Amino acid sequence: MEKTIRLTVNGEEKTLKIGVQQTLLEVLREDLGLTGTKKGCNQGECGACTVLLDGKPVSSCLLLAVKADGKTVLTIEGLAQAGELHPMQQAFNEKGAIQCGFCSPGMILVAKSLLERNPNPSTQEIKEAIAGNICRCTGYLQIIEAIRSFVS
Amino acid sequence: MRLLEFDYFEPRNLEDAVTKVREFDGNYQIIAGGTDLLTALKQRLSAPAGLVSLDHISSLKDIWEEDDVITIGAMCTLEDVLSSSLIAEKLPALNQAAWDVGSPLLRPLATIGGNICLNTRCRFYNQSSFWRSSRDTCYKAGGNICHVTNKRDSCVATFSADIPPVLIAHGARVRLAGPKGVRTLPLEQFYTADGRFPHVIMAGSGEILQEIEVPLPAPQVSCVYHKFRMRESIDFPVLGVAVMLKLGEKKSGKYCEDACLVITGAEPAPVEAVQAREELLHRRLEPGLLARVAEIAASEIHPIKTSLISPRYKREIAKIIVTDALKKAGGIEE
Ligand SMILES: Cc1cc2nc3c(=O)[nH]c(=O)nc-3n(C[C@H](O)[C@H](O)[C@H](O)COP(=O)(O)OP(=O)(O)OC[C@H]3O[C@@H](n4cnc5c(N)ncnc54)[C@H](O)[C@@H]3O)c2cc1C
Ligand code: SF4
Repeated sequence: MEKTIRLTVNGEEKTLKIGVQQTLLEVLREDLGLTGTKKGCNQGECGACTVLLDGKPVSSCLLLAVKADGKTVLTIEGLAQAGELHPMQQAFNEKGAIQCGFCSPGMILVAKSLLERNPNPSTQEIKEAIAGNICRCTGYLQIIEAIRSFVS
Repeated sequence: MRLLEFDYFEPRNLEDAVTKVREFDGNYQIIAGGTDLLTALKQRLSAPAGLVSLDHISSLKDIWEEDDVITIGAMCTLEDVLSSSLIAEKLPALNQAAWDVGSPLLRPLATIGGNICLNTRCRFYNQSSFWRSSRDTCYKAGGNICHVTNKRDSCVATFSADIPPVLIAHGARVRLAGPKGVRTLPLEQFYTADGRFPHVIMAGSGEILQEIEVPLPAPQVSCVYHKFRMRESIDFPVLGVAVMLKLGEKKSGKYCEDACLVITGAEPAPVEAVQAREELLHRRLEPGLLARVAEIAASEIHPIKTSLISPRYKREIAKIIVTDALKKAGGIEE
């Protein structure tokens, strides 16, 4: 069964014909070519597929695209502006919070949304915010450092 | 793993949803947030012809207080529960339990209704179809053998939702809409204790969970939820306990006027530790009593090895989390 949905993806309005069984992750990667959103476990456990849905981080592998109809989606591709990395992306670079890079899109989006809700998070609040995102390289310390660099 | 094709319906009101469910004659599934359902569909644990989505039934998304009852629509997300000042103030244990579900990436999607209607879990069932293909299909998945008990026609998969214990401890009722109309029943009666069909809806009543009604707790009531899980960040409970205490004050100190202890993660339904409650009633809360009550509660659960965690370990954990929860609910300093 097919359905037409409207999504605002990284600021651009899209009208898309999708299969109702497609997840938002599949639509982003396959129909829109936005492969910055990663497919990890595909079971909601790893957080590699995180996108911001109406500003909130969610696992896009557990969300049917049809359920996102009318909503706003931000993926990692939507962060850099005019060739300039987003400050959070720069912080991840500078603090060595990236190694293989597979978790980075999700981590960076979670971090961005945390600071929008809570500009001065404690280290505990940072840890709680990234609890759904698994990183197998950095051991998390640099990631927490990168996010902490925004806290006054 | 991709999802198989299905039809998808988005009724605008509850009556249409009930009608749609009836038209499907069993071959359907209700989708709320989908965080549990999508995993199950990817693992091919079921292959419904249609999904009936409750997304567009706006009457299921409110939280309100009226006549000393707090009503929560089934489609309120856990984020909605967490951001409700009414719940934070009047039902803090519910706030705690919602916070303890999964990870922050699930809570904006996951609903309270989906948590109450959650399927039971087992290490032989919650696996990919490839993993499961190395053995005979188990009873819950449609075969005729249980790999845990070796019996042919029963399932002991474990109830693992975090929120129902708190609601039961508060005496909550669920309102169900179905082909025969609307009914309400105490939440504990919603569960069947059958691992294969753990609640009346999965047992085929054709109903939809509409809302949850929680009586406003009396001022002397204190309720807490305590969860133990392998990874603090995301996991289902190894064991969780909700403890509700109604406290009185005598010259000799605080005593227990009423109590309710409900445990998740142990059996195919939430377990009420009734003997532990009896032990507490009318007694003064002192450390010896709490330790005794925790022992009794641990002996009242009958965990079965449906995960990698042994029943004996679960009993030990029960003693610890029940003691901690009692201390916290009773306001007893370490
Ligand atoms: C990685 C991961 C970790 C998790 N950790 C936890 C955890 O720690 N604790 C926990 O409790 N859960 C956990 N879950 C399970 C799940 O995310 C939550 O229980 C969630 O609240 C389910 O809500 P939902 O709206 O997504 O349900 P759905 O997946 O939409 O539905 C779940 C079931 O309930 C039925 N259903 C839903 N709503 C209704 C209704 N109104 N009427 C009738 N039937 C209905 C559906 O048909 C389905 O069978 C986890 C899931 C994942 C993927
Ligand atoms: S308890 Fe037995 S029947 Fe139930 S899911 Fe596990 S193996 Fe299958």
